[in-house]
Amino acid sequence: MKKIVLTSFAFLIGSILFAQNGENQKYLLTTRTNTVGLSLLSLTDPYLSPLKYTGTGIQFEHESRRFLSISNTHISMQSKLNFEGGFLLNPAQTSSMTYMGVDYSWGMHYHFRPMKGLLLLAGGTCDIGFGYKDVPRNVNNPGNVDLATNLNLSGVAVYDIPLRRRTLKLRLSVETPLIGWMYVPLAGASYYEMFMLGNLSNISHFSSIVNRRGIDPKLTVDVPFKSSVWCFGLGYRGLQYSANNMVFSRNEVSFLIGTTFDAIGFGGRKRIAPKNFISTNE
Amino acid sequence: MKNQFLIFILTIVLLPSCMNEPATQPNTHEGNFQSLWNIIDTRYCYLDYKHINWDSIYTAYHQKLPSATTEVQFFDLMGSMLAELKDGHVNLYSDFDISRYWKWYQDYPSNFSSDLIYTDRYLGKNYRMAGGLNYGKIDNGRIGYIYYGSFSDAFSDGNMANALNSFSTCHALIIDVRDNGGGSLEVSKQMASYFFTKETVTGYMRHKTGDGHTDFSTPVEIVTSAHKTIQWQRPVIILTNRMSFSATNDFVNRMTQAPNATIIGDKTGGGGGLPLSSELPNGWLVRFSSSPMFNAAMENTEFGINPDISVALSAADQANGIDTIIERAMASVK
Repeated sequence: MKKIVLTSFAFLIGSILFAQNGENQKYLLTTRTNTVGLSLLSLTDPYLSPLKYTGTGIQFEHESRRFLSISNTHISMQSKLNFEGGFLLNPAQTSSMTYMGVDYSWGMHYHFRPMKGLLLLAGGTCDIGFGYKDVPRNVNNPGNVDLATNLNLSGVAVYDIPLRRRTLKLRLSVETPLIGWMYVPLAGASYYEMFMLGNLSNISHFSSIVNRRGIDPKLTVDVPFKSSVWCFGLGYRGLQYSANNMVFSRNEVSFLIGTTFDAIGFGGRKRIAPKNFISTNE
Repeated sequence: MKNQFLIFILTIVLLPSCMNEPATQPNTHEGNFQSLWNIIDTRYCYLDYKHINWDSIYTAYHQKLPSATTEVQFFDLMGSMLAELKDGHVNLYSDFDISRYWKWYQDYPSNFSSDLIYTDRYLGKNYRMAGGLNYGKIDNGRIGYIYYGSFSDAFSDGNMANALNSFSTCHALIIDVRDNGGGSLEVSKQMASYFFTKETVTGYMRHKTGDGHTDFSTPVEIVTSAHKTIQWQRPVIILTNRMSFSATNDFVNRMTQAPNATIIGDKTGGGGGLPLSSELPNGWLVRFSSSPMFNAAMENTEFGINPDISVALSAADQANGIDTIIERAMASVK
């Protein structure tokens, strides 16, 4: 026990000395953004119903970004985790649909700085998403699963808008799937036939812009306050995919609010990161 | 280069509008009629097998459409159109009624009286209940008897093990599934598994793959496995009537392949098509047979399964508190 305490103490002292000596040392920061959103949602799932269901949803998204290395401040890594839930009704409001989904993506972007105050990011991401739609009124087809993984084209534009007391960051991000894989149930077959009797033929599909198209632009503005940066925005998600003679679609408009911060707690107008801390916001 | 990038982005944005989503009909009587007719035309699985001319049914009922001025009249008209399919798995659900076709059992003798099976001659009043299984010994303890009234009432292996253990001294077992209108196919499979000694292909299933009346998938095997730890290897007799429908029809079909099993009673009611559901623009739900099931010889089971020994409940016996079908089953056990 004595040894552990002594070792820990030595390590702590060592760390402080290292920090003092390394004032010019650069460190990578991770920029994290957490947003919650309220969505207007519409879903068409012909496996469940030929009608379009509309309703509201809530979502939470965590995004983090950091440069690959201190020496390379042109390429950043991004990861996103999104949870979403929604409650929808058919047009006649005689049947309801509950939707739950989770999506994780990881990608890289190259940073361009064409002019002062403008940052452009271009790159790609790969994602995997799972969702479940439940229409309890249905018979033997009461639910359906969304399962897909994609390689996406991704771009972000960040424009600084300097005001008298603060600088706003206007951010437009766009992502669209290029190729991937998706699960689509057999039209006219029950989940009993597919998963209990093992008829899994034609449920697995290669996807490309021929049979899976979508775009999800998001416009947010980062507003620095005294000790935090809040972001407000508007997002849209449009997705359409087809397989097994069915066309599925999803449209969603979200009103977003959240906070964005660089790890280690720098942010806002008064708590500016030292020069030797490099953020992907720079 | 800039122009090419712009064209690419515009293509990505505009392409979704190019993928053809089928148009939905308007929420009018005409639109709902077209929608319902089309759902059955493209997704109902027995139009050809039952020799139904769905086009002429369109003509006949479309002519009557103007006379249906209220929602109730329109519902009744649509219900009558669906009744032409003569299928107990076809229903139209509105918020004021459910259309149904019940002639698959109403046009036949019931061959069952629940009053009879709970008399002292059979189960009596002190029978045991486990899950949905009502069981006890009959015929002076010679035979075990289980009445199972719904495949929606799930039971555990433990429930069945206890029931079968209580019959350890019995020569045979009767499973009475008369008036059992069905439920879960998984429970049907579970129930059958206690009477198999090896994995057996007991049937097949297909589903509609296209809009054509003969567009079906390749048959997929329906396999009944033997239960790993609970197996009844003495004679088992299944009692059936016309109300043995849907999942019960599936159970009886499986049991036709079980060793030591005998089916006694009336032909089952059928219901061999696994139903799915869809919706009309006005929000009414339509249930319809979508996936036809077949027996091991690839014969359709939609119209029911014939018993090995056909027996009817006689009115005279019934008046004397005797269930003719149970008596015949008891007599078959030596």
